[in-house]
Amino acid sequence: MKPSASAEGEQTAVHFDAVTKRFDDVVALSAVTLGVGRGEFVTLLGPSGCGKTTLLKLAGGFLGPDGGSISIEGKRVNDIPTYQRGIGMMFQNYALFPHMSVAENVAYGLKTRRVPRVERDKRVADALALVKLKGMENRKPRQLSGGQQQRVALARALVINPTVLLLDEPFSALDKSLRTSMQVELREIQRKLGLTTIFVTHDQGEALSMSDRVAVMSEGRIRQLGSPVDVYRSPADPFVASFVGDNNRLRGQLVSVHAKQAIVALGDALVNVPGESLSGLEKSAAVDLYVRPEQFSIVAPEEPCAIKGSVVAQIYQGGHVDLQIECSGGTGDRLLVRSPGEQAVLRWPMGAPVGIAIQADRCSVFPVG
Amino acid sequence: MNQQPFLRIFTAPATLCAVGFVAAMVAVLQYSLRAYVPGSLDPGGFTLANFADLLKPLYARVFLDTVVVCAMTAVVTLIVGYPLAYALVRVEQPILRSILLVIVVTPLFLGEVVRTYAWIIVLGNNGFINSLLMSLGLIGKPLQLMFTPFGVVVALVHVTLPVMVIMLAAGLSHIDRDYSRAAESLGAGPIRVFLTVTLPLSLPGVVAGTTTAFAWTFSAFATPQLIGGGRVNMISNLVYQLGFSSFNFPFAATLCVAGLALTALVLGLLQLASRPLRKIEVH
Ligand SMILES: Nc1ncnc2c1ncn2[C@@H]1O[C@H](COP(=O)(O)OP(=O)(O)OP(=O)(O)O)[C@@H](O)[C@H]1O
Ligand SMILES: [Mg+2]
Repeated sequence: MKPSASAEGEQTAVHFDAVTKRFDDVVALSAVTLGVGRGEFVTLLGPSGCGKTTLLKLAGGFLGPDGGSISIEGKRVNDIPTYQRGIGMMFQNYALFPHMSVAENVAYGLKTRRVPRVERDKRVADALALVKLKGMENRKPRQLSGGQQQRVALARALVINPTVLLLDEPFSALDKSLRTSMQVELREIQRKLGLTTIFVTHDQGEALSMSDRVAVMSEGRIRQLGSPVDVYRSPADPFVASFVGDNNRLRGQLVSVHAKQAIVALGDALVNVPGESLSGLEKSAAVDLYVRPEQFSIVAPEEPCAIKGSVVAQIYQGGHVDLQIECSGGTGDRLLVRSPGEQAVLRWPMGAPVGIAIQADRCSVFPVG
Repeated sequence: MNQQPFLRIFTAPATLCAVGFVAAMVAVLQYSLRAYVPGSLDPGGFTLANFADLLKPLYARVFLDTVVVCAMTAVVTLIVGYPLAYALVRVEQPILRSILLVIVVTPLFLGEVVRTYAWIIVLGNNGFINSLLMSLGLIGKPLQLMFTPFGVVVALVHVTLPVMVIMLAAGLSHIDRDYSRAAESLGAGPIRVFLTVTLPLSLPGVVAGTTTAFAWTFSAFATPQLIGGGRVNMISNLVYQLGFSSFNFPFAATLCVAGLALTALVLGLLQLASRPLRKIEVH
């Protein structure tokens, strides 16, 4: 993990400063500020329509901002057209030129830069070797599989040594196993070349596994910017808590707050939770606890536990088992509980009454409303 | 057995039309093989003499002229139509777009005769162009624009333009904008993007448009009749003269058949020449 290198002047490769973008009456981005350090891999993560593509297009110069400024390598680029920005862009649908061969596609950016023939051929060959596509030089894009087209698109963007690589959901069209291997490969290449990268996805697994830092976006704003661990462990607000990773929400009542500790009543049970986000809140205010499925553990119903319920679904996932527990009390609330290994399948059969204990010291708590 | 119950009902009108069309073609074909009996409306016995007559310089000349006029019209229409189609697809302001659309489409609703008549007013000796040039003192006596191949081509371009623009615009609008964005991101300026990406990807539309324009003008009648005034003859005019002035139906039919064959030949050649382009798949 790299230390965050945002806004440290010369270390910053791309900087968005209070960038705003409107489409007619839709505000696609409102005052977004984000610094991407040199060589850093930053992911924009968020639900559909939150402005990820818009932010990427602003960096690429395909759109102009309505307010704020964008700089690349310390230079303001608001008024510099795309073709003078020296960026590498990978499109969701690859956008390989269908009338050119693989080699011609990769050579395109070198030709526009008037790189001499000999050097050009060498760099094309190197780039194709890097993405493991040697021997495919003369094929046309339509003669390649989806994964191969993806690699050509990557090679085409890399070969020009871009100051920043922009990727818009590049793997969304690939099947799962191919996607995983492309993720690993992209990250390896990115590290090897030390490429500053902005990656867009709405797949939180992809974001957590690949990034140095993740910017979680919603409705045109960055809700949280931090390392994958930060974003997963300490979500900044209820949106991030429920968007990143699986989470269970439990409604409770505040009993007391002491600086870093708070006591919350969940029905009859009292739990100790982290209290930073609750300071100043009145007693008996309603609060929401966000508990990860792996922060629950299932115990026999007679043992001490916070919640009682019964098993309504078992989802065997190979390495772990996901259980859905319906809470007793007739509210119909369901909780997702993750149990490592596979013993849970036999130990807690369908319909079995169970108790749920909470590892509450690591959950997140937010005031309601 | 009958998996698509509506198929028959739906295709019935088309079948009826097709039957009528085939019957007419057969009639023309059999007329073309009959001898001409001067002074009679009924044809004589079967003969191939009509086809041999086609080679007479008088007629061969008309065929050649027709092909030349059509080719010139197709090329000029392409050159005029491409920028219009490009603008139609790329312009973003709704008002500009509507203006373009009106310019392009209105001629379609005017019919060939009305449009041709308008060109007579423009091209005539006392017409718009000559009056303008004379009043500016650029020329001393009127330019001969009417009754020339130039005049015919100009009017035919106007007649053909809407079809060409619509076909080109259809082709251009199918080119994903991400191709040009990708080229830009790789350092290509607007002109290079156009020459290396947009233009090559639009070639299938260019071929389709040119082919259609060619076939469209091949059967032109009113325009060469009115603007050519007998001095620029295309096949249709010859058919008209022979069929309705001389009542030589058999030879008129032969001209039709030969014209059809020539069109098919030219279109076939164009298709063949453009075969490599069909491999460009534009999503
Ligand atoms: N060209 C446009 N014209 C009008 N509105 C637009 C345009 N492009 C984007 N928007 C709007 O701006 C907002 C942000 O769009 P954007 O494409 O950035 O979303 P996104 O986060 O990339 O979503 P997705 O995950 O679906 O790709 C949306 O509300 C969208 O409707
Ligand atoms: Mg998007």
